Amino acid sequence: MNMQRFLWPLVIVLAVGALFLWGLRRSNPTALPSVLVGKPAPAFTLPVLPPYQAEWGRELELSELVGKKPILINFWASWCIPCQQEGPVLSAFWQQNKDKIMVLGINTQERNPSDALSFIQQYGLGFPSVQDNGRMYIEYGTYGVPETFLIDTSGKVRLRHVGPVSQADLAAMLKQGGG
Amino acid sequence: MSLRRPALLGWMLAIGLLVGLAFAQNSSPPPDLSSRVYDIARELRCPVCQGESAAESNADISVEMRRIIAEQLAQGKSEAQIKAYFVQRYGDWILYDPPRHGATLWIWLSPLLGLGLLGWVLWRYQSRLRQRAQMASAEVPEEEIQRLEAELEGPKPNTDR
Repeated sequence: MNMQRFLWPLVIVLAVGALFLWGLRRSNPTALPSVLVGKPAPAFTLPVLPPYQAEWGRELELSELVGKKPILINFWASWCIPCQQEGPVLSAFWQQNKDKIMVLGINTQERNPSDALSFIQQYGLGFPSVQDNGRMYIEYGTYGVPETFLIDTSGKVRLRHVGPVSQADLAAMLKQGGG
Repeated sequence: MSLRRPALLGWMLAIGLLVGLAFAQNSSPPPDLSSRVYDIARELRCPVCQGESAAESNADISVEMRRIIAEQLAQGKSEAQIKAYFVQRYGDWILYDPPRHGATLWIWLSPLLGLGLLGWVLWRYQSRLRQRAQMASAEVPEEEIQRLEAELEGPKPNTDR
């Protein structure tokens, strides 16, 4: 009788404590799993930024790229500070793994197109980038830049990464994409 | 001197008008979007903001969201259809009111659950009190009760002498 009296409050306190602990230990409380994971990646045809037009043509269609290799779609903007750190990492990764994986940048929410061009020059982005039409970042359900999506060879979204990608993140994505 | 003063006044008026216009433009919705657009946008989260709806925020993404809402309204889509468009891309997170199904149902049920729990605890407390009272009364010997009842009825006539 007496034991039971103390047991219940103890159980409740422990349960609430566990809930708090779980909340605190989540790696990133603002991170949300993308609802697109497991679904076909939203299709697009977008204009290629001038520095890449010679190699990739004036427009790039996602469906033309799907099926050959897994694709990393990276949303970036020139005013985004983490993108400055991410750009060179992503570019180096692309140079090394061109034959295994495709990297495609989507330059988004850019106020001035020339800012994007100077960003590409300054950070030496080797992978091609297209210009967002103002809708693609909503189509992909992004809530900031940078964000990276891994699309497998069947054209489905495998994962969404929020924030700048590290070399380790990219290696894991390469493995998961089956490249 | 007499010529300068009207010129100065004119300049001041012009500047005042411009400043006024600038403020007016910031605070009122652009004329091409109906209030219905804002009604729907108010129930959607601005994805890049903290605690602002797509109606209040001036972030590029919110402006674009309002434009999408206006376009879809013009296409004759219902409010539910427009919300579903954003939920498909962002999940239920984009809605300010969590939907009354699935994992967020418990948010709506939690006040009821809390009330139920409170009722249950009170009921148990009450029944325990009642039980204790009954137990206590069972322990009192019969003659004691009779004596007390007699005392309540008033003084008995003295039969000893």
